[in-house]
Amino acid sequence: MAVFILKRLGLALLVALTVSFLSFSLLFMAGDPAVAIAGENASAEDIALVNERYGFDRPMIVQYGDWLGSAVTGDLGNSWYFDIPVTELIADRLTVTMKLGLFAITLALAVAIPLGVAAAANPNSMIDRFALFLSVVGQAIPSFWFGLILIVIFSIKMRLLPASGNETWQHFVLPTIVLGYYATPAIMRLTRAGMMEVLSSDYIRTARAKGLRTRKVMFKHALRNAIIPVVSLAAVQMGFMLGGSIVVETVFALHGAGYLAWESIARNDLPTMQALILIFSTFYILFTFLADVLNAWLDPRLRVG
Amino acid sequence: MTLKTLMIGTALSLVTAAPVFANKADDTLHMAITKELESVDNYYNSAREGILFTRGVWDGLLYRDPETGEMKGNLATEWTWIDDVTVEFKLREGVKFHNGEAFNADDVVYTVNYMVNPDNGVKVMTNVSWMKGAEKVDDNTVRINLNAPFPPAEDYLASVVVIYPDEYYAEVGPSGMATKPVGTGPYKVDTVEPGQRYELSAYADYHDSPKGKAQIGKIEIKTIPDMNTQVAELFNGGLDFLWNVPADQAEKLAEMDDRFDVVNAQAIRIGYITMDAAGAVDPDGPMTKKEVRQAIYHAIDRQAIVDALVKGSSEVINAGCAPIQFGCDLSVTTYDYDPEKAKALLAEAGYPDGFEIDFYAYRDRPYAEALMGMLNEIGIKTNFNYLKYAALREKREKKEVAISFQTWGSYSLPDVSAITGEFFTGGPLDDAQDPEIIDWVKQAGSITDRAERQALYSKAHAKIADEAYWVPLWTYNVNYVLSKELNFDPTDDEVIRFADFSWK
Amino acid sequence: MTDTTTPADLPVQAPRDKPLTPGQAMRRRALRHKGLMFGAVVMLIVVGIAIFAPLLTQYDPYQQSLLARMKPPVFLGGTSEHWLGTDGLGRDFWARLAYGARISLMIGIMAAVISGIIGSTLGILAGYFGGRVDMVVTFLINVRLAMPVVLVALAVVALFGGSLTVVVSVLGLLLWDRFAVVLRSATMQVRKQEYVAAAEVLGASLPRVLFKDVLPNVMNHLIVIFTLEMAHAIILEAALSFLGLGVQPPTPSWGLMISEGKDMLLFEPWLITIPGVALFFLVLAINMLGDGLRDVTAPEGRN
Repeated sequence: MAVFILKRLGLALLVALTVSFLSFSLLFMAGDPAVAIAGENASAEDIALVNERYGFDRPMIVQYGDWLGSAVTGDLGNSWYFDIPVTELIADRLTVTMKLGLFAITLALAVAIPLGVAAAANPNSMIDRFALFLSVVGQAIPSFWFGLILIVIFSIKMRLLPASGNETWQHFVLPTIVLGYYATPAIMRLTRAGMMEVLSSDYIRTARAKGLRTRKVMFKHALRNAIIPVVSLAAVQMGFMLGGSIVVETVFALHGAGYLAWESIARNDLPTMQALILIFSTFYILFTFLADVLNAWLDPRLRVG
Repeated sequence: MTLKTLMIGTALSLVTAAPVFANKADDTLHMAITKELESVDNYYNSAREGILFTRGVWDGLLYRDPETGEMKGNLATEWTWIDDVTVEFKLREGVKFHNGEAFNADDVVYTVNYMVNPDNGVKVMTNVSWMKGAEKVDDNTVRINLNAPFPPAEDYLASVVVIYPDEYYAEVGPSGMATKPVGTGPYKVDTVEPGQRYELSAYADYHDSPKGKAQIGKIEIKTIPDMNTQVAELFNGGLDFLWNVPADQAEKLAEMDDRFDVVNAQAIRIGYITMDAAGAVDPDGPMTKKEVRQAIYHAIDRQAIVDALVKGSSEVINAGCAPIQFGCDLSVTTYDYDPEKAKALLAEAGYPDGFEIDFYAYRDRPYAEALMGMLNEIGIKTNFNYLKYAALREKREKKEVAISFQTWGSYSLPDVSAITGEFFTGGPLDDAQDPEIIDWVKQAGSITDRAERQALYSKAHAKIADEAYWVPLWTYNVNYVLSKELNFDPTDDEVIRFADFSWK
Repeated sequence: MTDTTTPADLPVQAPRDKPLTPGQAMRRRALRHKGLMFGAVVMLIVVGIAIFAPLLTQYDPYQQSLLARMKPPVFLGGTSEHWLGTDGLGRDFWARLAYGARISLMIGIMAAVISGIIGSTLGILAGYFGGRVDMVVTFLINVRLAMPVVLVALAVVALFGGSLTVVVSVLGLLLWDRFAVVLRSATMQVRKQEYVAAAEVLGASLPRVLFKDVLPNVMNHLIVIFTLEMAHAIILEAALSFLGLGVQPPTPSWGLMISEGKDMLLFEPWLITIPGVALFFLVLAINMLGDGLRDVTAPEGRN
């Protein structure tokens, strides 16, 4: 087990390094940072001064080395736009995005698992069809449109919820619904598939044959087994969501990390971008790593890989 | 939600609904900006939104009355030009900063000398780089020394050069000023959540400034990037004031006139098309030919775009400057909308069947699309490239852009040195590189005699028009949407002065 | 899978006169599968509109008329001159929608083709060879999954501009992971089959084994993932357009039309609803088609 974890950890680190190098080279090409730092109303003179001060003429690999060196010590540099430490800037925004991500995944699980179980227990019933229909429909509405429609209904027409901001829990309701909605179908499908497989397996049949009540079989035995892959999928989805909440954050003016990342692209704020990509990918890697370990612990056959 | 409501719209059915919040009752004005502000420190941001803070939280030595154009004293009561490069100020006495620090000559000297020092990395260096420094004469008298004669000096001192408290700034620096700003202005800043939210309140001890005292107790400014969301908040009563509302939306909001007032005002910003006349992109490219540039000018129905898209108080301009700017001579050669003539000119230049070219823009996508549609009519096939400002600017500096739709706001300065002086003096963004024009404009920027300056700028603008280096398009306008409880009279310079707000 | 009127447990060996061939059985399952049929019909309509766009409207989708901006569609009080109304620059909305079908379909298909080629090549190689090759491919898949798609796509489009080529390439280069993952495991299973071993023993060349024995047997997976990624690419393009970095105007992509209409959402919502509904049905149809194909080709693997 220890060897397995070490191996996985090594791989995870390598992945993180590769991603950060790729994104660094991409962003490095993404344009003259001096123009971006100097801002929209800057004159040629201002830009020349910025170039001089930051020394952007060094080779990329040197700058990457520099960045990596200090990143290891927890120093991600200063935002070129806000001129404050990136870590300070991100900490604040990440809290918002993490909250949103957690709410959304919770909602997704709360909807998807019961639906998936119900669908699996009654294949081809109305509920099964409804669940499957919902999952296909969910993937077909562009999220920003869905978000704006929710604002129109719940915020303007019914006046129940605020349209923008992140001050109270009410502010998170609509964004959570939008983001959670998009994570639901995959989880639901997997729950349903897992349940169907487990339900047709020998030991469930045995349990049933022994006269255990159906509900108990469903929840105590079947679901427990079917849920393992669902947990790791949820971890992966959570990782995706952190990086994918840009649109939702823009629509609802939630000042989270996703929105910050998108704005940072527009501003060529390389240190912030770089740090965010690193953090998003680290989260993803971390989640999948934990899921791998969890699965390996549950199922020793997987430890070989 | 039925398909019907998705089609017809929800907004107009809400006309009679009353707002939820009573903002007037708790004396708080709620407004929004679309852009995350990097810093509220006046010297460390270059965004238009920063001007809100510049004018509301701090004061300059001088103040230009937006109505009359008259220059008045603000933190200074009198000023005299000793010579072309030295000006002496008598400072107002009894002024206190928001933190209680007394205002005196040391504050002025410290602020100016700190900002002009290149090591301190002020963001818009051109705002201060014309000054050499400041020196104290006595506690209430200072002199500011210039590097060279600088005609718009007083305008800079009345707008972007604001005075900081020396002791406080020495202690906290730009990052401290960005999170806990301290000034002498009509409003003090209570809360800063960088890039997200700001809370201001009236400064009770504000001095007897020409800006006037604050009339509204509190102001909350939120950052809401999406205009739909802003309008939704306006409907809810969560916002009392929107600005820069797109023309179509403003028109619809104006129809709901029992709930909102829509006020339109001009801005100093103008739009223009710039073309690679000097051939830096392609020495033999079509843009190097005068007839082609004139054809492009003839091809564009500027009035139609203003009427249909830009709207408001915008007007077509014939020179590349805002009419309210000093030195803006609009009596130059103009090219009326005439697609046939445009085609003839193209043929004359050797392009009877037109040509294909990359067209660039960074804002106002619909305007750019309309412009391209008109170029297509005369046979110029355009491939659209819509880039972020920084990316487009970089491409231009690398000489990869032969034609682009640009805008320029001149830092709200009422002097053409802020636009013609920026783009026709041989810099990397000067597409004309016309030595004669460079000469005239540079000269006009370094003398103080108004008549002489006007004459030089007129000559420059005349030649720019004759050669059709630019296609000047229109002035911009700003739509302000106000809740029924709010009073605000916008000025024609896109500057919002908080002290001008009041409840009805 | 969606509409599951083709239960796997229905007797495939239709009882009446003689047993059906596998092909006939599949065709019969397909015709009975409502989801698949719905998807196929909608797809056919969209493809038809895309192909015959010039015959379906007399308007040029790029022709502006600043005097006839935002005319409402005929069912909201407009005139029959522009039955779906006109957009913010006075262009005929139906013409843009019809020609836009070409663009949106092309984005989906091209992005899925690019990602399909990359992903299935990697997946099949990894599944077939295992060992080191598998390790490298797994590593690449991990790297790809760890990159936030929307962010990277935005950064690339911001850098290279939003031409159709750039958008399609960046989506293609970012969406190959599912192809690789699924085809890797599918190939692993095929690899174990006797006929592959037989072909190898008989001395068939490697490309021959891969193309003649492996590829046909993983084809059904390939097609299913292809449809999913096609839908995914179309939705992603709409999101990029919303953020201002999708396909460049005046190209009439449906995603772009939605984002152009969004400013007037509260006042003239049909500007966003019409392309929105069109996009919704297209994506829905593609997904249903994909799910249906999976049900029909591999009835036992339905999930």
